Parts: sequence; structure tokens; C-alpha cells
Amino acid sequence: MTNYLDALSVLLLVSAFILMGNKRIGSYIKTFQFQSALVALLTGIIGISSFAQDGRIDVLIICAVVIGIKVLFIPYLLKKTYAKVAYRVEKDFFLNIPILVLICCLMVVFSYFSFAETMGINTGTINNQIVNSFSVILIGLLFMISRKKAIGQIVGFLVIENGIFVTALFATHGMPFIVDMGILMDILVAVIIMGIMVFRIDEKFGSINVDNIKDLRG
Amino acid sequence: MSDMILYFIVQTGFVILAAPLVNGIIKKIKALSQKRTGAPVLQMYYDLFKLFKKTSVVSDVSSWIFRVTPYIVFATAVAAAMIVPVTTLIKPVWNTGDVILLVYILALGRFFMMLAALDTGSTFGGMGASREAMISALIEPSILVSLITVGLIAKSTAVFPIMTFMQTVQNPLIHPVYLMIFCALLIVIIAETSRIPVDDPSTHLELTMVHEAMLLEYSGRSLALMELAAAIKQLVFITLLVNLFLPHDQLIGIHGIAAIGISLLIYLAKVFIAALLIGIVEVNTVKLRLFSIPNLAALSFILSFIGFLQFFAFGG
Repeated sequence: MTNYLDALSVLLLVSAFILMGNKRIGSYIKTFQFQSALVALLTGIIGISSFAQDGRIDVLIICAVVIGIKVLFIPYLLKKTYAKVAYRVEKDFFLNIPILVLICCLMVVFSYFSFAETMGINTGTINNQIVNSFSVILIGLLFMISRKKAIGQIVGFLVIENGIFVTALFATHGMPFIVDMGILMDILVAVIIMGIMVFRIDEKFGSINVDNIKDLRG
Repeated sequence: MSDMILYFIVQTGFVILAAPLVNGIIKKIKALSQKRTGAPVLQMYYDLFKLFKKTSVVSDVSSWIFRVTPYIVFATAVAAAMIVPVTTLIKPVWNTGDVILLVYILALGRFFMMLAALDTGSTFGGMGASREAMISALIEPSILVSLITVGLIAKSTAVFPIMTFMQTVQNPLIHPVYLMIFCALLIVIIAETSRIPVDDPSTHLELTMVHEAMLLEYSGRSLALMELAAAIKQLVFITLLVNLFLPHDQLIGIHGIAAIGISLLIYLAKVFIAALLIGIVEVNTVKLRLFSIPNLAALSFILSFIGFLQFFAFGG
């Protein structure tokens, strides 16, 4: 099972990189959906093993909720918002994409070597899975600050959340049920509110470039 | 000695004969996805056969480079095919065939192709050559880093020992290092064989063409050689991918001629699957803008580099 979890954590990292290399909003949403599907698969594997070992079904329930919320509902919501606003391709970045991808690589190097100092990195449950999922959090963070448009920032936020969820899952093999459910519900509400906000901003200013919001300052 | 002769025959014969088939399969998949019947799978053989019979027209202002290039390109492609074994059951007697040699022998062919494209002085040729130079320079670090990482794990930089080592690895595709390298090499293959996100192989006389623009001045036998060389190069890369990451030779368990036959059949099936994969990618993506290609190349390089890093930090 560890092998499959390793492979899934690597695929999560790859999907985060693909997200970073993209600049089409449609691809953002698709890649996020793919990443969430990977998260759901991973939760499913851990859920089955915890069911087989301890007879717990809470991780499996969380897996079902992840599929419902992250794989199906949030991408659907984002697509609906995306259909309403005018732009399709993100044109201006603070840095260009190859440099951003290189910075991502530096962050992965950073997390590798900072985690390599951790005691027992190769023995217990902490291993390269943790490092990869921690890198996903950092990449999500960079994605969020590198995109100027609001939908990109929402996707970045969701990627950070995916990373945190997966890191917790890898470290503990199943957090307390109520904590996971609370986080997922929070995400759902946050995305719904942000979707409405994006639509409002677009209506009010004619674009969803977050730079324009600075004009509101008195 | 007989092993060596067998290796020669299997490598050259197999790769040269099977290479146009891969193109046929990919074209067929594209046609089927558009609800057309499409050209027959063997169409490229007919085309090559026809082209070999025709005389080629050479521009008066071109130099010897233009005339000699098709042979150099074809020779380098076949030499690259000699390095990458289709099956590890036949041992080449020598142990040469570095990954570095593999990369740069193909680069030599490409270099002459670019020179020849510049040689006739047509505008399309110059455009194609400069684009090709850009793409190859961008993609080269990624292929070298990924192959050498696999070489580090196998403790050899020659292709044959690496492939025999990979036969002993259980399920390389769920191993973190190999998975990263696999993703990086997929992007490399798409860029190197001028497939759709990077270059459209089916366009002719279009402003965005890269590989086709360099072949524009060629006709007859020279054109056939160039096209066959491109197909061989594509098959060499596919062979590298499938034999490294989907090893099958340890599954057979017997030796001798029968085992080699079975191994070659499984190899063909794997190539078919890879062609299917490339065809599906080609159907589902659009061609990138030329200035978006660095994004793809950066992605490929970073993936291979992180694969290397994972090996470095956690061991193979």
C-alpha cells in the first residue's frame, strides 16, 4: 500500500506543477478536478485499509464527501462562475511561467532538505509522501499570489486546502471525523461565497482583475 | 558473434519496418475520433515506396550540405535505433551506447537538418530551423537529466545495462522516482517527435509548422529518407519509454528463440499502447503558441529534476 501512496503523492505534486504551468481558466478547473480525484482515491485507499485493520468507516465516509464536494460540486460551481465572466486566458503575471515553475522547484528543494533534517524521515509514517504534500501546499500558496485574477486565486486556495488535507491524512492515516468534516464544509461555504463575490466584482468593475479593487481605497 | 548479428538484424529490421506503422496508427486514431474512415494504417509505407521511385529536385543555389543531409539524418536515426534495444533478451556483445551518445547522435542529425533548411535560403526553412533550434535547446536538459537519473539508479550510463536493470524493478510506474521521470519523458517525446501541443505533424504549408518547414525543399528519395528518419526517431523514443517503464522480459522466464519472439510481440503491443496514448493526447489538445513552449519545457525539466532530487534525498 505504501507504494501506491508514494505514487499518488508524486502524482499530486505533478498535478500541482501542471496547474502552475497553465494559464487557461478552463485548464485550472480541470486540473483542480483531477487533483481532487487523486485526493479522493488516496482517501479511499487509506479508508479501505483502516476499515480492514480497525473496522473504522469514517475515512470512507470522508472519501465519499470529498468526491461529492471537491470532485463534483466545487468544479461545477467554478465552471458556472467561469461561464459568466468575460475572460478565458490569464495574460499578465507578476513573473513569467518558466520562472514561476523554477521557483516552485526551489520550494520543493527547500521542503525536501528541511524535512530531511527531521528525525526518522525514512522510517515511520513520515517520508516522501509528507514532503510531496507539503510541497503542494507551498505551490498552492505561490499559485495564489502569482495570479492576478480572482478565479485563479480561488483555485490556489483550494490547492492549498488539498495539500493540507493530504498532509494530515499522510501523517495520521485518518484525522478525527469531525475535524475533517468541519474543514470540508468550511471550504464549501468559502467557495460559494467567493464565487458570488467574483460575479459581483465582475458586474461592478467590468473585470475581475484584483488590482482594480485597490481603487476602492479612499 | 551470432548474438551480435541477430541483434543487428532485429534492431534495424524491426525499427525500420515498424516505424511507419506507428504513424499510421496515430493517424487512424485521429481520423476515427473525427468520424472519418481515414487513410489505411499502412499508408505511410505506400507513400515512402512511391517517393523512393521518384527523382528528387535539387535547387541550383544549394550546396553539398543539402544533398548529403538526408543520408546523415537517416544514418543518425538508425544509429540511435541501434543503441536502444527493443528486447533485452538479445545481448549486444559490446557494452557501449551511452545515453549521452544517444541524445547527441540525434542532435547531430537535427543539426544537419537545420543547416540544410537554411541552405536553400527559403524563408520557411529559416523559420523552421530557428524554431527547431529553440525547441531542441529547451528540451535537451530535461531528457539528459531524466535519463541520467535512471542511469544513476542503475549504476550505468549505457542504455542496455539500464534496461536490464529496469527488468528487475517491480512496477516502476508506482515508484516515486520513475513516475516523475516517466512524466518528464512523456513531454520530451511529444516535443521531440513534433506532436501536437508543440508542433502539428499534419500541417503542410502553414505558418506555424516547425518540422515540416524544414522538409519543404525536399522531394523524391531525399524526402522519403527524411520522413522515414523522423518515424524511426519517434519509434526510438517510444521504445525508450516503454522498455524503461513497462519492463516485460522478466515475465517470460524462458530463453532461446521462442522467448525472443514472445518478447518482440509484447514489445509491439506496448508500442501500440503508446501510439494509442499519443493519439489520444493529440486528439484532446490544441497546438501551443510558440512562445508557450518554454512553459512546457520548464515543466518537463522540473519534473525530471525533482525525480533526481527524490532519488538523492530518499534513495532509489
